[in-house]
Amino acid sequence: MDSLSTDSVSTRHPLAVLRFLGLVVLGGGVGGVAALAAVGFVNTVVWLNDLLLISPRGQMMAANTNLVTLATLLVPTLGGLLVGQLHRNLPESRPHTPADVIAAVQTRRGCLPAKAGALSALSGLVSLGAGASVGQYGPLVHLGATLGSLITRLLRLGRSEDNITIACGVAAAIAAAFNAPLAGIVFAHEVVLRHYALRAFAPVAAAAIVGYVLASQLLAQGALFYISEPAIPQPWEFALFLALGGLGALVAGAYIHAILAMGQLAKRLPLPTSLRPALAGALLGLTALWVPDILGMGQETLRFATLPGAYGGGELLLVLLLKLAATALCLGLGFAGGAFSPALVIGTLFGALAGTLVAELGGGQETFIFYAVCGMVAVTAPVLGAPLTTLLIVFELTGSYALTTAALASVTLASPLAAQLFGRSLFDIQLARRGLDLSAGRSRAVLQEERLTELISHDAVTLLPETPLTTAISRLSLAGRSEAYLVDDQGVYHGCVTLASLEALREGSESPTLADCPKAPRPVLDPQSSLWEAMHQLQKITGEAIAVVDEQRRFLGVAYESSIAQAFLHHSDALRREEHGAG
Amino acid sequence: MLAKRWTLGLLAGLLALAPSISAQEPDTSASLTVLSWGGAYEHAQRRALFTPFTEAHDVPVAVARYNGGLAALRQAVAENNVPWDVLDMTRSDAMAACEEGLLEPLPPELVAPAPDGTPAAQDFLPGALGRCFISHSIFATVVAYRRDAFPGRRPTRIADLFDQQRFPGPRALQLTPAANLEWALLSYRVPKEALYRLLSTRRGLDLAFARLQSIDNIHWWEAGDTPVRLLEEGQVVMASGYNGRFFAAMVERDLPIEILWDGQFQEHETWAIPRGAPNAEAARDFIRFATTSERQAELARYIPYGPARRSAAMQVTTHRDSGLDMRLHIPTHPINAQGAVTKDETWYARTQERIEALFREALFHETLTTQE
Repeated sequence: MDSLSTDSVSTRHPLAVLRFLGLVVLGGGVGGVAALAAVGFVNTVVWLNDLLLISPRGQMMAANTNLVTLATLLVPTLGGLLVGQLHRNLPESRPHTPADVIAAVQTRRGCLPAKAGALSALSGLVSLGAGASVGQYGPLVHLGATLGSLITRLLRLGRSEDNITIACGVAAAIAAAFNAPLAGIVFAHEVVLRHYALRAFAPVAAAAIVGYVLASQLLAQGALFYISEPAIPQPWEFALFLALGGLGALVAGAYIHAILAMGQLAKRLPLPTSLRPALAGALLGLTALWVPDILGMGQETLRFATLPGAYGGGELLLVLLLKLAATALCLGLGFAGGAFSPALVIGTLFGALAGTLVAELGGGQETFIFYAVCGMVAVTAPVLGAPLTTLLIVFELTGSYALTTAALASVTLASPLAAQLFGRSLFDIQLARRGLDLSAGRSRAVLQEERLTELISHDAVTLLPETPLTTAISRLSLAGRSEAYLVDDQGVYHGCVTLASLEALREGSESPTLADCPKAPRPVLDPQSSLWEAMHQLQKITGEAIAVVDEQRRFLGVAYESSIAQAFLHHSDALRREEHGAG
Repeated sequence: MLAKRWTLGLLAGLLALAPSISAQEPDTSASLTVLSWGGAYEHAQRRALFTPFTEAHDVPVAVARYNGGLAALRQAVAENNVPWDVLDMTRSDAMAACEEGLLEPLPPELVAPAPDGTPAAQDFLPGALGRCFISHSIFATVVAYRRDAFPGRRPTRIADLFDQQRFPGPRALQLTPAANLEWALLSYRVPKEALYRLLSTRRGLDLAFARLQSIDNIHWWEAGDTPVRLLEEGQVVMASGYNGRFFAAMVERDLPIEILWDGQFQEHETWAIPRGAPNAEAARDFIRFATTSERQAELARYIPYGPARRSAAMQVTTHRDSGLDMRLHIPTHPINAQGAVTKDETWYARTQERIEALFREALFHETLTTQE
């Protein structure tokens, strides 16, 4: 097997090389489209925030304080109302998020729906434009992924290409929005693809580069934070950064669980689903009259949190808690948007709080930015399940090696701790709650998604329970099978008998029927059960096949052990080719 | 807000009708009156623009003195007695005047393309071509310091303006929020793209005020020649001021000062035609003539203002009188422009009065109502 594949690599057909280069060019193309969409999205949000008096700039320029108060109360509420109406046109009445992208790629299903993608992007735009406390990167990632998937389908390419172009769209969106191409590439691999095949890497890298170049021409937002010639932290401070990582994991856990709990709570509200975002908007607006920092994506808040002295210690704690609550409220009650930007804000506030405490206890104020950034990565990496991506974002935005090393100390503890305590990421926890467990890797996810339906065979010996023993034995012998399935005249399944047990019975008694025969202990399968479950059941039996029955135990056919094994090998092979192929 | 727009529109409409109601005698048909700022600036314009224009078009140019603001223009237009044909005004004033309907709209095809054929829209800097104004020069408010004040070191970043430990000594700053607030936030390492978003919050303003309050011994200046004098007399070691004035002091009077270009606060100087100008046709001829790459580059040989079009900036050479390389002294030179801040005119147009009041309250504990 190994020698075979080596041969096929060394004598690679020129057409295959061209095909691969074509895939790289396609990746670049997808990157361009996704980056343009991302830039348009980001600029539209800024424009809407200014226009609707949500951003500080818009509020300052409006001059009229009554108008600003009115806008703070009404805009998020009306935005929520609109979002609720938009979501009525979506399956499950919820916006699609990066979790859906991950599910599509991990199960190799691909094919992100265009309509749901467009509606989700629109409702994300409305949510962010109206000042909901949600993030913009989630909608951007989903938009990029949907565009990538759409392009593949327009070109009528296969599933593997679909998965790769989805990753391309994701990488370009992140590269464009953060001005960080490396982070885009790593995010696509770390969070979406979860493998590092060369075949996927090249197109994804092309997409990220195109996205970065386009965005650096078209987006005029300053870097998230600026560091020039930062102080070098004392050696003992690295212990603090590590500790900050541990505490950050707890903050991340609180954040994730607040969002999930609010989602559960929302279901018990005596309010139609479509009206819930409006309630969240109203509560948000009301709180924002008191603490305006929690409104919107929070870019100003994020930047202030990196400036020593901009917030007092008490203020940091207050804004942190309110921002966490506001984001849980908005996401839980159904606003569309990501969890990443608020996590950046919460993490930075948390880090700034730590930095302020350290400064008050006699530490240096010069390393304040280190604490802010460490807090930021300690909270965002677990939420996203992407330690490398967050590190690279820090590195690409600051260009500071000292800062990246400090962040590394925090992530080292934060990511594994949060993964042990809570789960790999917010996305994985959400998917697990929807029944897709990604904790055992992609091969399991693929098998879990694959339904048994296609494997059901009707080529099996079925016998009525009243059948005389001799007739049964001759039927089995004629069919060349060693197992028969007892199905009564109602079509109900009664168990399975083997040729061996029938023979044994014939020795013992006279004129028996099948009903007297001991049944082979054999589980049954539901037609909707997954290939994963079937594989699991196979381990418990020795025999030819497993009966497939519906909820009324009506017999639908059998799944042969060999066809289950074949399907398993087929999927493993496809995965192997996708994840380990060089081109 | 809508109501305000509406009244402005109505006002503009009435003003547009005004000249046709009372036809005015064009008694100055053969000459052109330009409103400009006087001093060295007017002198440079005379040599680079007015005299060559008279030679080429046989139209004499008269210059009237301008000190900024819109009051005189407003009155002249309202009385339908506008004595000027061409106005030389800052872009913020031009924007406001345009919105009030005090200016003639300028056709986009008025300005000539670059010598190599590049269309004007791509040759001019972004925001230079307005509906009724055309930027011709970029000047900057910068910080200058005495070369002899800090032996062994020199300021390199705008944050050094606030660092009196490394650069001790009194400072002179202009008595306006503009430039000072931006510099204060830059000193916290806020990127310039984010300045006005942060200055839109109470928190951002407080940070900026705190930075300004932290300076020991500030001389606040109002007239443009004051900072040069304060530096010359040694009363301060660092001062903000206009780059043209500092240049003149360095070149003509050999003052031992140096310009710190980081954080330079750029503003546009524009040409405009007032509504009801007696000689609008000649005014358009003049603007077309004065905004050619050649004339803009020539002007920059007399005064260190950056040409508003790229093709002209490429042609800037030496100072006519001293032979100094002028490229190193204009704000738009790539080396000087690295840390440049562009004034957000629309932000200031809407917030000026409130920001001014907060500025005075924070720094001088004055709770005065702004007079206007």
